Amino acid sequence: MADRKKIEIPEDVKKIESVGEEEDFPFDISPMYEGERIRKGEMYVELGGTEQPGFELVMALPAEEVEDMKVTIVGPDLEEMEEGKAYPYAMIYYVAGSQVETDLEPVIERRNHDFQNYLEGYMHLNQRYDIWIRLGKGTVKKGLKSLGQIAKATMMLFKNELPFIEKIEAVYITDAALVEKVLNEVAMPIYEERDARVEALHDEDVDEFYSCTLCQSFAPTNVCVVSPDRPSLCGAISWFDGRAAARVDPEGPNRAIPKGELVDEIGGEYTGVNEFAKEESGGEYERVKLHSFFEYPHTSCGCFEVIGFYMPEVDGIGWVHRGYPDPAPNGLPFSTMAGQTGGGKQIAGFLGVGISYFRSKKFIQADGGWYRVVWMPKELKERVAKYIPDEVRDKIATEEDAKTIDELREFLKKADHPVVKGVVRPVDGKKITEGWVEEEAEEEEVVEEAAEAPAAQPAVQPVQPMQAAPQMPFALPQLPQLQLPASQPSGGVRLVIKDAKIYIDKIIIKKPEEKKKGGK
Amino acid sequence: MAVIAVTGKGGTGKTVISALLIHFLSREKSLLAVDADPDSNLPDALGVKPRKTLGEIREVFQVSRDDMGTMNKEQWLEGKVYGEAITETDSYDLLVMGRPEGEGCYCFANSLLRGVLRRLMRHYDVIVIDTEAGLEHFSRGTISGADYIIVVTDMSKKGLATARRIKDLSQELKLNFRKIFLVGNRIMDGMGEEEIRKFADEGGFELLDLLPYSEEIARLDLRGDPITKLDENSEYAVKVKKIAYRLVGDSNG
Repeated sequence: MADRKKIEIPEDVKKIESVGEEEDFPFDISPMYEGERIRKGEMYVELGGTEQPGFELVMALPAEEVEDMKVTIVGPDLEEMEEGKAYPYAMIYYVAGSQVETDLEPVIERRNHDFQNYLEGYMHLNQRYDIWIRLGKGTVKKGLKSLGQIAKATMMLFKNELPFIEKIEAVYITDAALVEKVLNEVAMPIYEERDARVEALHDEDVDEFYSCTLCQSFAPTNVCVVSPDRPSLCGAISWFDGRAAARVDPEGPNRAIPKGELVDEIGGEYTGVNEFAKEESGGEYERVKLHSFFEYPHTSCGCFEVIGFYMPEVDGIGWVHRGYPDPAPNGLPFSTMAGQTGGGKQIAGFLGVGISYFRSKKFIQADGGWYRVVWMPKELKERVAKYIPDEVRDKIATEEDAKTIDELREFLKKADHPVVKGVVRPVDGKKITEGWVEEEAEEEEVVEEAAEAPAAQPAVQPVQPMQAAPQMPFALPQLPQLQLPASQPSGGVRLVIKDAKIYIDKIIIKKPEEKKKGGK
Repeated sequence: MAVIAVTGKGGTGKTVISALLIHFLSREKSLLAVDADPDSNLPDALGVKPRKTLGEIREVFQVSRDDMGTMNKEQWLEGKVYGEAITETDSYDLLVMGRPEGEGCYCFANSLLRGVLRRLMRHYDVIVIDTEAGLEHFSRGTISGADYIIVVTDMSKKGLATARRIKDLSQELKLNFRKIFLVGNRIMDGMGEEEIRKFADEGGFELLDLLPYSEEIARLDLRGDPITKLDENSEYAVKVKKIAYRLVGDSNG
């Protein structure tokens, strides 16, 4: 971890120090100033922005090192600045408190934007090393003399609004060389460390997930659950975005979901998520597993960037993204599959995801993760290639390798893809598929469909990955709860369908003599 | 803050009127001009070279969002809007909404932009929005409402039919407007005048004024010169100026 310690200020740079709370500020402080844009003509000076370096940084330090409400201005202060010019600008805050930890630094740091925009005549934009500030002439006329006053007002807001901050100290730097030096040597390593943490943060490390119901106008039963290991289906919302939005508007479209008890570690099932799903789907769904493809999968809104589809013929999963216009090997283009799955349905065999879910360490881990993936368009595969384990990367086909199920089967066999001999899921080493059965059954390409079949024919379950072998008795996995009535063993019919693509919305099979009690 | 939406069937001259309103109102008020018609050319009419459109920024957001890590996306968008989309002129700011979104889901981007624009807009005295008749940005909520809707029509039946549709749509969208006005443009004879007066009466529009056909505007258009070069003492300019003051007076009272 990058070191957290106070910035060393060289002896030869001018500095001004001031300790204690300010009585009066020559500017108004209110949330109504948020969004105030200071135009070039009204600007006294610009700090940071496109012309000068700038950054902001919050560091958590031990309480004894932080001198509360102290501000140090290093370099020229406002009165020495020339009107209309741009200057380098660094805002560094040291914070301390019994609950203040390194993890909270970025959360506190983001609030600098909010609080500084409460200040009349002060425009703060962007974050980290992109900050851009404009100070209005009006506020300087009203008596603003020093950046120290800005720092004091900001620190006051930090302490009022975030009471867990017990002590806060600010160092504002306008000296060009020092801004550059601290940016490169101190701030950048900390920002990089934070970004690395995003990859390292997992579902088990947090207490809350976040919901997103922005899509519910299109998909009323959709329940997007955003966790560290599972971004939203549209790809836009990470766990961090959910957290940021929930804090601003706790009753808004992104609300906190307390995780509750862990029910299924591998599938990613939590009591809190289940309760939430039930509530938000209007009772339609009672269980949701975040990292499962087949069992209680996440609902799919319609906004998803990529759709996953199960191909029983190869017992593998393909993925196709919105921008890929041609049919996938299952014969269906993205739009058709999206049409069937979208609208907030939970459908075993199809799953909408965001592209960033491919980066997740828990990517459909219950069903073998990458080891179960057999096909994706080249464009998509290249985009996520570095997240695919080396072992299977070349075994996943693209449209250049296979456009049909037959071609896909050939490719997978040649590549010795795990689905051929059976997938061992990496998460717990369990063998979850049997692999393909004997060649003969495959080459026959016989799909058996039984209408009034002998009782020996098992009732077909929606999708059971364990029994998903090439001769699975249904062509498309989205058939809902197809239950064949176990009828008398006489007069069975054997249907042999070859090279057919079947789309069935609903099958109703009734016994003619018992019309009212027929299964559906 | 007063939000004035200028709309009407394409080709009726709403962009000319928008540009002149912006030109006159910005002399006394802090003003944001919004071009919300992908087919229009408000920046040309104003003689302003626009920067990036909101649509372009939204596209950049869509492709770069996966790599933003813990960066705050709303603040990212706000920075882009303030820093790269808003064009500052000497007397007003201009924001071009740009083309509608492409494929994929824009729910989140639009939801963030809605917040950014709401906070931005409240700091101006006047916002003039040149918008297409479908009021797309209003229906998507990227722009939340309008105080005054000015529907521009020429003497054509189609212009009037569009005006009626716009009124229905504005009510449906709950734009919470205080008034919906009608402006007749390029009115060349008494018959047209009478027709439009009658239409306004029956349709529940307040008729702001009837503007004449202006050869000078036609010439400016032909040369591709900004409409703001129109002689301020011309009948057309005087009338639009009167409309401008009337709206500001209305919003003060």
